Amino acid sequence: METIIPEYEIIGNPKLLMGSEPEANKSMPNNNLFEPSTRSTNNRYSAPAPANKAQSFQPTIQPAYQPPPNYKIQGPIMKNEAPARIIPIAALNPYQGRWAIKARVTAKGDLRRYNNARGDGKVFSFDLLDSDGGEIRVTCFNAVVDRFYNVIEVGKVYLISKGSLKPAQKNFNHLKNEWEIFLESNSTVELCPDEDGSIPRQQFSFRPITEIESAENNSILDVIGIVISVNPSVPILRKNGMETQRRILNLKDVSGKSVELTLWGDFCNKEGQKLQEMVDSGLFPVLAVKAGKVNDFNGKSIGTISSTQLFIDPDCPEAQGLRAWFESGGRNTASISISKEIMPGGSKNEIRKTLTQIKDEGLGRSDKPDWVTAKATVVFIKTDNFCYTACPLMIGDRQCNKKVTQSGNKRWLCDRCNQEFEECDYRYLLQVQIQDHTGLTWVTAFQEAGEEILGCSAKEMYLLKYELQDDTRFGEIIRSRLFHQYLFRLKIKEELYGDEQRVKITVVKVDKVNYSAESRYLLDMVTKNLRNRKQF
Amino acid sequence: MDTSSPAAFVNGGLLRMHVGRKVRTVIQVTRSDAGSVMGKSTDGCQLVVRGSPPAPLTSYVEVIGVAENENSIRAELWTNFGDSFDASNYDQLCQLANGELKHLFL
Repeated sequence: METIIPEYEIIGNPKLLMGSEPEANKSMPNNNLFEPSTRSTNNRYSAPAPANKAQSFQPTIQPAYQPPPNYKIQGPIMKNEAPARIIPIAALNPYQGRWAIKARVTAKGDLRRYNNARGDGKVFSFDLLDSDGGEIRVTCFNAVVDRFYNVIEVGKVYLISKGSLKPAQKNFNHLKNEWEIFLESNSTVELCPDEDGSIPRQQFSFRPITEIESAENNSILDVIGIVISVNPSVPILRKNGMETQRRILNLKDVSGKSVELTLWGDFCNKEGQKLQEMVDSGLFPVLAVKAGKVNDFNGKSIGTISSTQLFIDPDCPEAQGLRAWFESGGRNTASISISKEIMPGGSKNEIRKTLTQIKDEGLGRSDKPDWVTAKATVVFIKTDNFCYTACPLMIGDRQCNKKVTQSGNKRWLCDRCNQEFEECDYRYLLQVQIQDHTGLTWVTAFQEAGEEILGCSAKEMYLLKYELQDDTRFGEIIRSRLFHQYLFRLKIKEELYGDEQRVKITVVKVDKVNYSAESRYLLDMVTKNLRNRKQF
Repeated sequence: MDTSSPAAFVNGGLLRMHVGRKVRTVIQVTRSDAGSVMGKSTDGCQLVVRGSPPAPLTSYVEVIGVAENENSIRAELWTNFGDSFDASNYDQLCQLANGELKHLFL
């Protein structure tokens, strides 16, 4: 650089913009006022006569170019880059603006790869719980997965900010929050290394087993109970052709009821196996289930889903309470299982219908089956396929009863139990036509009802027809059972058969008519009828 | 016996309404002699039934005959009804058969 004017006077009061450390400027964008005079004095070098010895002369040099401080006004909006304040998860919503949450990971989902119209992708989710008990699910897609998948660990606390809030997908997300966080490329996830005791490890809302009895099918809930039985793991063929494992356990709690819990897939090998070992060695562990799904196929039972979590002997007050109850007598109190098919309405509130009323009133068409009692007479018994070959093995305290197939020479195979055996059981699957003074209908009778109607076991009838081939005797027995009148307890439900909806009537119980009770019922009906008529 | 008209279902209290006419009732036998039987009607009255009862006689017996007066019947037909019988049902039947639903019976 060449100095043009060696010396000069300062005109006015110029301020030197000194570019010092950028960090210092973060919080104070408008500082750096330096006394001009001192600086300029320092910077001024008296230049002797222009000389050729350029080396010894230091010309007045402007300070080296420093990058402008970080905080500049860009465009019309000033960005506030101050750290976001921590808010409760419950306060999160898409209109929130800047937010940060501090929460513990309660669940971490698997990394899933998918393929859709837009190509391949990957996704994973994790659930958070904060100190106010708020919960929310966080989901990451594609590149974001790479950033955070290995960072997130269950049980650790993180400070998370800059994600977008979208409505929660209720099909998969069972947390009590209408929103879900989606992390993006500018999201931040910071591990908080200091243990924060104010954030619980897990949040449960356990329902007593007795409440599960009235829970809605497919609803998701938490339950805790003592494991009273564990069945071995069996391979099950799913509808999509894939094989998975299944285990059935029974849980009992202070409400005096017990419920069947079905473990699927990995749960069978991990927690299921552990529980089996514990029960086999005489222990009765406490099991807490978070996010189990209610199933109403046979009474009410609970099954695991992908987001279910199982905790064996958890350290929570409910577990301690259960243990105390069990040890001080709970162990010996018999419990009623809610997972057995219950017939609503005892003898006090049975609904009596005639056979045409079933059709006329459209019974069985709602989403719950209708249970009625009808007095009718057996008029026809179908003799083809009156029984099936059943699995005699026990699953817990119930017989499997699934239809078995022949395998090789004189042996039978059950798909559910995955075992072969010599002797199978024979169980009734009777199609019977019953009639009363109003009409006629077909009903299906299973084992117990079948035995009452035919007066002998399915095995005896099977042997008579197929082994002894005594059609005469077989025919005689059938004919002798026709035209008997019974009180049929019927379960009526519309079901899909191929394309059409058909009303299926199952005989749940067959009772001989008790003339005394029946007379009382009829006299009652007559009296009521007379009373009603008088009103018109 | 005149079989042209049906026998009216009666209990002890309703017997007086049909004196001289054909009646039927069920009694619980309290005493049995040759020629007559004493029994309790389904509404708790003491009735006398004259005639030749079957032998052996069960606890409950139905008799069909002519009402002599308000507590005695001359029976033509006797039927053993066994040892267990629902008296209250029968009684209610008698009331209906003589009351609102009389037209169905007589």
